[in-house]
Amino acid sequence: MKAIDPRILTPTMVRISEAADMTAQERFFRLRLSRPLGHRPGQFVMVSVPGIGEAPISICCGPGDHDRLELLVRSAGSLTMVLRRLEAGDQVGIRGPFGTGFDLADFEGRDVLIVAGGLGLAPLRSLIEPLILDRQRFGRITIISGCRTPADELFGREMRAWSRVPGTRVIRLVNDTAHLPWDGEVGLVTAPIAGLDMDPAATLAVLCGPPVMYKFVIMELAGRGLAHDRIFIDLERRMRCGIGKCGHCQINHLTCCQDGPVFRLSTVQSLPEALA
Amino acid sequence: MLENFVLEKDHLLPLLRKLGRQYRLVAPVRNRHGDTLFTEIHDLDRVEIDLEHQPQSSLKPFFFPQVEVLSMYGLDHDTSSGATWYSFYPQLPENRPTVYFGVRSCDMMAVMYTDMIFLQSSEYDVYYARHRENAIFITIGCNQPFSNCFCNATRSGPFLEHGFDIQLTDIGDRFFVETGRARGVQLRRQWAYFFRDATEDDRRAQFQAALEARGLFNRLVHVDLVTRILARQEEPEAIFAELSARCQDCGGCAYICPTCTCFTIHDQALDEDRGERLRTWDACTFSGFTRMAGGHNPVDPDRQRVRKRFLHKLLHDVEHHGRTSCMGCGRCVDMCFGGVDILRFIEMVSENETEHEETP
Repeated sequence: MKAIDPRILTPTMVRISEAADMTAQERFFRLRLSRPLGHRPGQFVMVSVPGIGEAPISICCGPGDHDRLELLVRSAGSLTMVLRRLEAGDQVGIRGPFGTGFDLADFEGRDVLIVAGGLGLAPLRSLIEPLILDRQRFGRITIISGCRTPADELFGREMRAWSRVPGTRVIRLVNDTAHLPWDGEVGLVTAPIAGLDMDPAATLAVLCGPPVMYKFVIMELAGRGLAHDRIFIDLERRMRCGIGKCGHCQINHLTCCQDGPVFRLSTVQSLPEALA
Repeated sequence: MLENFVLEKDHLLPLLRKLGRQYRLVAPVRNRHGDTLFTEIHDLDRVEIDLEHQPQSSLKPFFFPQVEVLSMYGLDHDTSSGATWYSFYPQLPENRPTVYFGVRSCDMMAVMYTDMIFLQSSEYDVYYARHRENAIFITIGCNQPFSNCFCNATRSGPFLEHGFDIQLTDIGDRFFVETGRARGVQLRRQWAYFFRDATEDDRRAQFQAALEARGLFNRLVHVDLVTRILARQEEPEAIFAELSARCQDCGGCAYICPTCTCFTIHDQALDEDRGERLRTWDACTFSGFTRMAGGHNPVDPDRQRVRKRFLHKLLHDVEHHGRTSCMGCGRCVDMCFGGVDILRFIEMVSENETEHEETP
């Protein structure tokens, strides 16, 4: 029998070192870990508040030998409503990292097109950071990020900094300026795809956003000749265990927590429910 | 090689009394309400072990309890510095050597399936393992399948080829005894004086009983055909929708099913500073099972809520593990008042196919 490790289902408590509202709905947390998490981009952790419960939250910082863990949390459920009130010095429980995530080797020497809708930028930031950090290893990087109004924009300052990195283009969009000052574009994330300077044989695309976005972005990418096994999609599901047992995140024969949450589109496109 | 013995029926209780002194004893017990349930036996002389009726419950709750404490959390104080912090402490269940007596083939096969889910995949489940270690199974073949049984179609009964420690077959005034796994062999040796070697007549009687049982099933259920139909790309969406509409969201099918292992995890406060993290059974047919914070649900409960359940049991587990995870026990048929049981689904899908075949 294998070594028994009850810690898989038991959280470790860690301190919040920094907490700040990023928008009216999203709060950014930096946690201080006792040792590096050793995560891959696109992985997630189960975050606990004792007495309230646990929920899956995407890791939004790049991997590396550091003791910080960054999370961007939207207040949407019972746990995240409590997380919203936590400050630096408070504690949360962590289990993980879970999921397959992205393999940076897949992106080596390729052009990368990243399409993020709303909160989808948070998990993709864990991929963008290492791409930018080791810039020469990868081809051209294009980031399309859209949100509702300028007040909903996430990581705006970082996106401006990324756009100044050579060979990196950042297209920031809002659906509606809502009479607020805005230095980006207006429209949906699908709009810029048709006009991109893109070599479909050398490009990998990565999508994360609300389900309604996928269908239209995939149509645009197909129009540019991008094959479905060159499109990665980072899915969101209800999850309870993170280890492929509880059943909640099952998509046909796959579990989102173990086989995903990052999938090649070719793996999930024919599965009912997957992109719903 | 299997060794064969005979246990006279009037030796059964004395044997169980012996076993009960060394092990916790669990067997199907008929209670005062007339229900037959697997029950921990404290005093053999005060309970009625029932081998006539199908136990309404399976062994699932003994290995995967409906509610189980995973860990305790609490607020710790450092009196000198005044600092406070929370910690989680894993709580492992106690591990009691147990003999499970009177287990039907379908339920034994179900235990082997849940072993695979909790012990043989990438993440070993320590809680399940603690319950499961030191378990001995004395199974009993079904001479007379029950009204909703179809284990012949799911290849999980009415008799077992493997998996048991000891398998009994009722051959009139005595049980035919086969020893299977090492613990069964050892147990038979330890209490050898209760058993005698089987004769050729005993073997013939066992063979006859097993053969006759195969002819006594009420229902012809096309499990393999339905797996083949589901493996083709188009899904029976209309059948999913019809059955989903009749599902009353009670979760009874999943709770009673010996192989349904979905769960949720939640916290139960004991007081202001302390509490328990619990794992409890869940059901994929619940409308909120896949609903995410914020309200989005990738499954339409009105049309698709039974889809995961039936595809998982009849298709995905065949792809993953080489067999269905429906063991043909038929319990969900009695449990569901909406008629949304797996037999109904199998019948609807296979009838559909027959109609197609008849259409020129």
